[in-house]
Amino acid sequence: MFDRHQDLKTIRRCKRGEEAAFAEILARYRGPIYNLCYRMSRNPEDARDLAQEVFIKVFRLLDRFDEEYAFSSWLFRIASNHCIDHLRRNRMRFLSLDGVAGPDGEEFELQLPDEGPGPDTVLERREAMDRLEEVIADLPPHYKTITLLRHQQQLSYEEIAEVLQLPLGTVKARIHRARAQIQQMLADRSYDI
Amino acid sequence: MDGHDQREHRADDGLNCPDCRLELQDYLDGTLEKKRSLSVFLHLRECAACRVEHDDLRAVFAALEALPSLEAPADFDDKILASVPYAAYQAMASLRRDRVPVFLEEQFLPVWLRARAVRLGGLVVTAAVAFAFAAGAGRGWLLAPGVAGVLPELLCRMQSAGRRLVALRRAEG
Repeated sequence: MFDRHQDLKTIRRCKRGEEAAFAEILARYRGPIYNLCYRMSRNPEDARDLAQEVFIKVFRLLDRFDEEYAFSSWLFRIASNHCIDHLRRNRMRFLSLDGVAGPDGEEFELQLPDEGPGPDTVLERREAMDRLEEVIADLPPHYKTITLLRHQQQLSYEEIAEVLQLPLGTVKARIHRARAQIQQMLADRSYDI
Repeated sequence: MDGHDQREHRADDGLNCPDCRLELQDYLDGTLEKKRSLSVFLHLRECAACRVEHDDLRAVFAALEALPSLEAPADFDDKILASVPYAAYQAMASLRRDRVPVFLEEQFLPVWLRARAVRLGGLVVTAAVAFAFAAGAGRGWLLAPGVAGVLPELLCRMQSAGRRLVALRRAEG
């Protein structure tokens, strides 16, 4: 989907300090990275901050980019990890504020009461995309990432394996489980899409 | 899914409902091998319960693909471009030796074209054509495969020569 050789040429220009080359990379990847961050955080301001932080980090670390791999894979890997870290940090902050921990001090999955719409409200007409976005937002971070890379960024299984540095079989199994979970969550919430 | 479906819908090729449902995601992804894909297709034609499952899953696929793409804020680039250490990159540029140009990178040519079997097979074809012409039995239409046969080896050799030339120039410079 992304032109590996074109990227490589542009990155080499970036490494020579050509300002226009950085702008080219931004023009190419601004949308995909912002969308990934938005769907991971589901908050426009967080998405903007996260995506900007990703690009700032990447543009400062260009010397560490291994040209054997696709630049897009490296960029998506940094963005995915950054978003997952953000979600974890937020979760930890939430946990520490409420002081919820297991008997041994370890955090555990919170079973929060559903603060979403009640049964009556569920019956209201809502946009199918809103329902799906809500379900995606509630997925565990690693399922969320893999779903977005596959379906929003249209990456192949092989590309996702390169981005996440996982074996192909693991990627495939994880995508299958993520989709099954989406389907199950839609059914549990009686969401029709 | 009830047991009834499994009993009722075992197709001739042995695909039953649980097997079919296990394959549905790959089927919709287009990653299932052709023969298996055909089995799923035939099973879905006969089995209403699996068809419902297939349609539900397809709706999820379609909805995921249809998630709207959002535009980044208008001032998105400013903060990023302001933070790039251009001067440091420019200062480093003279110290950093570029690798060979992109078109001389091995990966520039597709893997199948670089494969030893393809290169060797191509040369055999070209040699056969050349032999046919030398023996006076060559026909005009043989020229195309004869030329095509030598291309993989030629491209790989040209890349290799290009890389050597670049290395030589660097050594001199």
